[in-house]
Amino acid sequence: MKIVICAKEVLDPDAVDNYVLAGKLEIGDDGKTLTQKAIPRLINAYDEQAIECALKLRDAGVDCQIHVVALAADPTKILQHAIAMGADEVAAIAVDTGSVDGYATAALLAAFVTSLGGVDVVLCGRQASDGDQGVVPAMLGEMLGMPIVTIARAVEMVGPSTVRVTRVTPDGDEIVEVACPAVITISNEFGPPRYPTGLRTMKARKVKPTQVSPESLSLGADGGKPRVTLTRQVMASITGSCEFLSGDAATAARDLVKRLRDERVIA
Amino acid sequence: MPNTVVVCTWDQGRQGVPAGAEETLTLARKCSVSAGLELNWLVLGPAPDRAAEIASKYGVAHLDRIDAPELSEFQPDVCVAALAQYCERHPPKLVLVPQTFEARLVAPRLAARAGAAVVMNALDLVVENGTVQLTASAYGGDTRVTYELTGADACVVGVLADMLLAEAPAGGTSQPETRQLPVDLGGVRERVKVVQRARCEGPRLEEAEIIVSGGVGLGTKENFQLIQDLAGALGGLAGASRPAVENGWVDSSRQVGLTGKITRPVLYLAAGISGASQHMVGCAAAKTIVAINTNPDAPIFRYARYGIVGDAMEILPAITRAVKGA
Repeated sequence: MKIVICAKEVLDPDAVDNYVLAGKLEIGDDGKTLTQKAIPRLINAYDEQAIECALKLRDAGVDCQIHVVALAADPTKILQHAIAMGADEVAAIAVDTGSVDGYATAALLAAFVTSLGGVDVVLCGRQASDGDQGVVPAMLGEMLGMPIVTIARAVEMVGPSTVRVTRVTPDGDEIVEVACPAVITISNEFGPPRYPTGLRTMKARKVKPTQVSPESLSLGADGGKPRVTLTRQVMASITGSCEFLSGDAATAARDLVKRLRDERVIA
Repeated sequence: MPNTVVVCTWDQGRQGVPAGAEETLTLARKCSVSAGLELNWLVLGPAPDRAAEIASKYGVAHLDRIDAPELSEFQPDVCVAALAQYCERHPPKLVLVPQTFEARLVAPRLAARAGAAVVMNALDLVVENGTVQLTASAYGGDTRVTYELTGADACVVGVLADMLLAEAPAGGTSQPETRQLPVDLGGVRERVKVVQRARCEGPRLEEAEIIVSGGVGLGTKENFQLIQDLAGALGGLAGASRPAVENGWVDSSRQVGLTGKITRPVLYLAAGISGASQHMVGCAAAKTIVAINTNPDAPIFRYARYGIVGDAMEILPAITRAVKGA
């Protein structure tokens, strides 16, 4: 079985959060790019969980080839991490991520998956924690003519080409089955990814990802040209004035309840 | 040239109004008026009870109805097929959907199928000098981004309706014309089979008036009981931060945040929650936020109306006692 995971490198969202809370997030002269060099770049956490999903399938006895593909100017670091986790093959599509939107990204990934041939399952994180758009997997599925199952917390093969997925829905867990080939997105409820050993990480540093040029991919009639352009990014403003209630626990508690009752917030 | 803004819903909602419909109609109407576009509302499946009344309230020109037996409950392939047929016959400039769980899948699929762009997490939309500009949330709520529609004639928009206000225009508006539109769904096969349905257990966080929410600051799973106790005493529901859910302290259906439930209660009381932006997206629309945290610099105090710096393990039971009149 052939499994492809689509991975993205993002700025560490916790670090971005800290800078925003300190009011110090730097946005460059283009009015949109986050320029703090101190913020680390990491694999998108949901994508890392998607890699873990593939590895768990293999651990469960599924005979599979696990490919990880990333789109960026140089995603070597996250692809070597994928190898260290246990992926078999890694490929980098050389693209300036500032120049693509969700549609263009999906077009490139669809062309790559098609060029690999015989892909049974495409796994993606549910969204990237920088843009949060979460549109690439669904568009990818449409372009490949594959069904899409989103927000998975568990994935297993039931038979040679049927996947059973447990989805996290607002009403609780839903279990679905879909025939391969299919696109599946992984949510944080999936659980933590394995941490590669130091030895595997060191060995992975010798691996050079296969370089894929966008020009070599067949991108369809419109050339996979972006449909939207990100033109501006600003910090969200958090204004507020908190009134701190003092005294010991009992005093503060009674004070709070009185205020909430006076304001008719609670009965 | 496409010249319509279409709000699209398919759920029956509560009390006769689909979730997020009024907030989305508010945004759609604002845009339709300023850009000179016709405002229509496409309802898939059986019409929610108050559809005609709401359509009239927001000055909808056409209440478009597509109904068929296949649409009696949500099925993704069927839903996307119906919407794609509509867009082919009545090409819109903008399709606005309230960003429900199902919409997150349907919106990008429709965009791909209809050759449109798609922007999710939208908080605002303007058409300036003929260019469609959308403001959306990014970085878990930490930033606001502007997207311009530059490479397609139409855009599907997922609207974060829970973070917006519904505001019907003042003064009278004309009666919408209802159009019953045909659809051909005979050839659509649902490729994803539901083997076990989700069961909605009890009231939903999204509709709760009072939520008491706990985070990792509570320390242990056992301490989460203090959250449940206070929620019960207040007649509210218990919620949780994502890390608390990931620790297995509580079911993921309790998770409040960008990738969990977006709530808008009258009271949101957060204990042991630091206030990371992706959590705050799930509760910032609350009327009153109360925060309890041992760290006086915790970000949550930036959002809160009232704050208590201290140990939730002491303060939560103290509040429960005070509520019960002890």
